Amino acid sequence: MVKKLKILLIEDDMIEVMKLNRTISTLKLDHKIIEANNGEEALEILEQKDNLPDIILLDLNMPKINGIEFLSILKSDDVLKYIPTIILTTSNNQKDLLECYKIGVAGYVLKPLKYEDYVSKIEKLLAYWSINELIVV
Amino acid sequence: MSQNQAEILQRALKREKAARKAAEKILEEKSRELYLTSQKLEQLLDEKSSQLEGVFENIVDAYVVMDIQGDFIKFNEAATKLFGYDISRDEVNVVDLVYKEDYVYAVSSFMELQTKGYFKNYEARVYTKSKEVKWVHINASMIFDKDKKPVAAQGIVRDITHQKASEEKLIESENRLASLVVNLDSGIVLEDENRNIVLTNNKFCELFNINAKPKDLVGLDCKAASEQNKVLFKNPDAFLERMRAIDTEKKVVLGDELEMVDGKILERNYTPIKIGEKSKGYLWTFTDVTLKRTYRKSLEAQKQKYYNIIANMNLGMMELDNNDQILMVNHSFEKMSGYTEAEVIGKNARALFASEEDSEILKVERQKRKEGASSSYEFKAICKKGKTRHWLVSGAPNYNIDGEIIGSIGIHLDVTETKNLELQKEKLLEKLEKSNDELQEYAHIVSHDLKSPLRSIHALVSWLKEDNQGKLDAVSLQNFGLIETTLEKMEQLITDVLNYSSVGADTSSKTEVDLNSLVNELVSILYIPDHIEIKSLHVLPNIHGDRTKLQQVFQNLISNSVKFIDKKCGSIIIDVEDLKSHYKFSIKDNGIGIEKKYHDKIFKIFHSLKKSKDSSGIGLSIVKKIINLHEGEIWLDSEPNVGTTFYFTLKK
Repeated sequence: MVKKLKILLIEDDMIEVMKLNRTISTLKLDHKIIEANNGEEALEILEQKDNLPDIILLDLNMPKINGIEFLSILKSDDVLKYIPTIILTTSNNQKDLLECYKIGVAGYVLKPLKYEDYVSKIEKLLAYWSINELIVV
Repeated sequence: MSQNQAEILQRALKREKAARKAAEKILEEKSRELYLTSQKLEQLLDEKSSQLEGVFENIVDAYVVMDIQGDFIKFNEAATKLFGYDISRDEVNVVDLVYKEDYVYAVSSFMELQTKGYFKNYEARVYTKSKEVKWVHINASMIFDKDKKPVAAQGIVRDITHQKASEEKLIESENRLASLVVNLDSGIVLEDENRNIVLTNNKFCELFNINAKPKDLVGLDCKAASEQNKVLFKNPDAFLERMRAIDTEKKVVLGDELEMVDGKILERNYTPIKIGEKSKGYLWTFTDVTLKRTYRKSLEAQKQKYYNIIANMNLGMMELDNNDQILMVNHSFEKMSGYTEAEVIGKNARALFASEEDSEILKVERQKRKEGASSSYEFKAICKKGKTRHWLVSGAPNYNIDGEIIGSIGIHLDVTETKNLELQKEKLLEKLEKSNDELQEYAHIVSHDLKSPLRSIHALVSWLKEDNQGKLDAVSLQNFGLIETTLEKMEQLITDVLNYSSVGADTSSKTEVDLNSLVNELVSILYIPDHIEIKSLHVLPNIHGDRTKLQQVFQNLISNSVKFIDKKCGSIIIDVEDLKSHYKFSIKDNGIGIEKKYHDKIFKIFHSLKKSKDSSGIGLSIVKKIINLHEGEIWLDSEPNVGTTFYFTLKK
């Protein structure tokens, strides 16, 4: 059964946000996107423990708290650490990749140049997570 | 007869009677005298003969008498004892006694006896009755009767066996002494009161270049000889003068040194030889001490040489005793430390120079010296004015002649400058590493920041196309397509730049890489058009290197070849040659070729000769960088329109 996902997108680039929204609507998926422009904003959102997202899509290159710092905060939280976090980034830096998996991520997806490729990747990603059993806090 | 006559007769008779009486009396007296005389004579004779008898009977030496035939007729007691024969019972002839080797001598002596009537000092061996051999000394003479006819021979025989033996021993030891003197390593001259040579030896002749045998020199006048020999000496007059002075003094002189013209150095000793108060001559000895002297001289020269080296070398030297007390420092050390030698001698080296932090180092080193170990170490020294300097010390234990450790010797080099440079280098390296890391980070961030807008543009263009489906004409659609192609090219460029900057920084570990399978795999993955054939002439070797990067080398070069082949039948030939420390690879194509003037340029970044969608001008720069990382070189041979061969070497 395909689940309706509550997705927290942490992304500072407006167009990237638009891309995800457009992709979901193009694919006619019934997922809910919660937008956060940076880590601090995301942490605020995550304060509401009764309205936590199912998965988090996280960009690494962000102002203020960067993605890896945010990830560390998340993973040190007793509750939030259970939320699957997928990195969505341009960086194919091996160091970043290693660091993210070390701290604990549920996936690491490179943003492709072509929009079509992006749509295809997001489709698969969401399809995968919508069939997963997730912990409901 | 008359009275007168009678009286006359009577008187005459009386006179006659008286005369007779007187004559009788005289006669009586005379005869008494004669008797007394003969009595005396007899007594004297008795005395003499008994004396003689006693002499012969009682003399210590043997007395023998033999007849003309040589048969012994008389042996005295000593003779009986000497020869062992009892003459009253044994018949002994002289022949029985003669030692067979001395027979000829005995016969000739016997002849002498017969002709001259005696012989003297006959010394020969005889047999005793018990066949013992004895040395005897004999004086013998003939005995004649009143007609001067020889009737017997008598002889006095002395047993000289012991004397002979000790004489022999004496001769033997004299011979030994003589040969010792002759062969002595010192030249010897023994001269008498008149300075005539009594004895000399070979060495003396040798030392003074005298072409004669030592015994030929005996009797020569030393004084005259020395006048002749003076030319052999560097200072002839001084030689003579000194010799005369010694001769006049007649006292022991030892250790005079004489320098000869030929460079020899002689040591001269003079000893008067006295037995009791009697002078037995003067002994001169000459010893060649040239070697000893030159040895000492060269030893001194060596010592001086090393002393100079030590004094002038640009290394500080310090000698310590077992308690770290300074015994000696050289000039360089004075300069290094700022102290004069007088200021440091007797002071404790550690207390004087060690900085607090490095005192422990010196303690450890001290212990090593005591155990006989040498070592080098660095420590921070406090110099005279409190300045801190870094010293590199090479320390070694110091031994005495008996092999006991009596301290240590340290050679010091001021390495402060080097040390500072080293520290500076370390800092620089650290900084470099950091900035390399930063650069790497920077490249990633820049590429991210550059790529993001490209992605956004792509998305926006896509949406424009989507949102205006059917409303756009063909030209607009084509332009959108061009925008997308340009974006892709731009992204590729950014990726290449990032790769290029990563080649040096990425320190992924090197492994054994099988190039043969690597290239085979590559050929099957790469897009190779049907008209191009790729051939390997030899099996490619294994290389110690970075697999991914080596793959990139072959991939870039093969792709390049593929890209630039313009012939109907393309050919790419891969080959390898085994050089000593490297392998030389070649990739040959029959493509468009490269003009000579571009051969260097093509390896520089952003120098693509043919601007196209899929060549950013970075490929060969990356190849060169990777090859350089594997300690190799890359170059090429090419002829425009015929083809290009890329050569590169990789370290085994």
